[in-house]
Amino acid sequence: MKYLSIALLFSTSLMAASPEVVQYMNELSKTAKVQNSSFNGFDASRGKEIFTSTHTGKQGKPMACTSCHTTNLANSGKNSLTGKVIDPLSPRANPQRLTSTKEVAKWLKRNFMDVYAREGTAQEKGDVLTYIMKN
Amino acid sequence: MTKIVNLSIAALLLAGGVYLYADDDKREEHEHHRSTVVAKPLTPQEKATTALYTKECGACHMAYQPQFLPKRSWDKTMKTLDNHFGTDASLDQSDHKSIQNYLASHASKNDQVVDVRGAVALRISETPYFVREHREVTKKMVTQPEVKSFANCNACHTQALKGSYREREIRIPNYGRWED
Repeated sequence: MKYLSIALLFSTSLMAASPEVVQYMNELSKTAKVQNSSFNGFDASRGKEIFTSTHTGKQGKPMACTSCHTTNLANSGKNSLTGKVIDPLSPRANPQRLTSTKEVAKWLKRNFMDVYAREGTAQEKGDVLTYIMKN
Repeated sequence: MTKIVNLSIAALLLAGGVYLYADDDKREEHEHHRSTVVAKPLTPQEKATTALYTKECGACHMAYQPQFLPKRSWDKTMKTLDNHFGTDASLDQSDHKSIQNYLASHASKNDQVVDVRGAVALRISETPYFVREHREVTKKMVTQPEVKSFANCNACHTQALKGSYREREIRIPNYGRWED
């Protein structure tokens, strides 16, 4: 049991997300499996595609996650509408990231709506989080 | 008459803790004095709500002082957060309620404010008071990258985050002080 918790702590730190966010991702994973029986775990390269590709956003204009966050997650971004600086998304550059499920769920919902004009699926959300964690 | 209306709006806003513009030092002193008189210490609950408002609304833009719009404007804004000037700014139920209450209790008492089209004002920058105060500001000053739009109060009003909009605190990027 002791070794298990040490291993769990170790893997958590490797994953660059807090235990509650890891727990949230486990729930997303379960939902993804229910929605798609061939789902076989989250994938950072799918997440990268979701994050960097351009779509017709909520305003009917081309929009990507990178429109505000830039392609380098370790850098600060800028809100494309207001110009306000956005702190880096990368948990390595910004330890505040991926520490609160409430924050993560809020921004995933909002930003999928802004860029994709729909809410992301559980798999898409998990893929994006996996991509962010690795950057 | 315009001046009197101006002043009464200013007084209403001041009662809520916002310093507005001032054309001369004498009036600034007066405003300062007034503010000192009305300032009440915040309860821990009020402090927490203010912090929540600043964090949530200030994530994308300056957390505007609620005194700039009446309750009905804020209610309309809060009802349409899922499409907030073209972006999804929705909140969870609990935060939504806290922020709506915060805005309502600190809103301007001038409930008849309408925007330039006669509708319930959503943008502070479209209220008659704002338009009048900024009528001499050129388009170039506002659209330059350092300012971007009238939504960025603190690009020029250096103390805007503290709720102070005195004329002597204005520094327009690439232009400098505001001389009336």
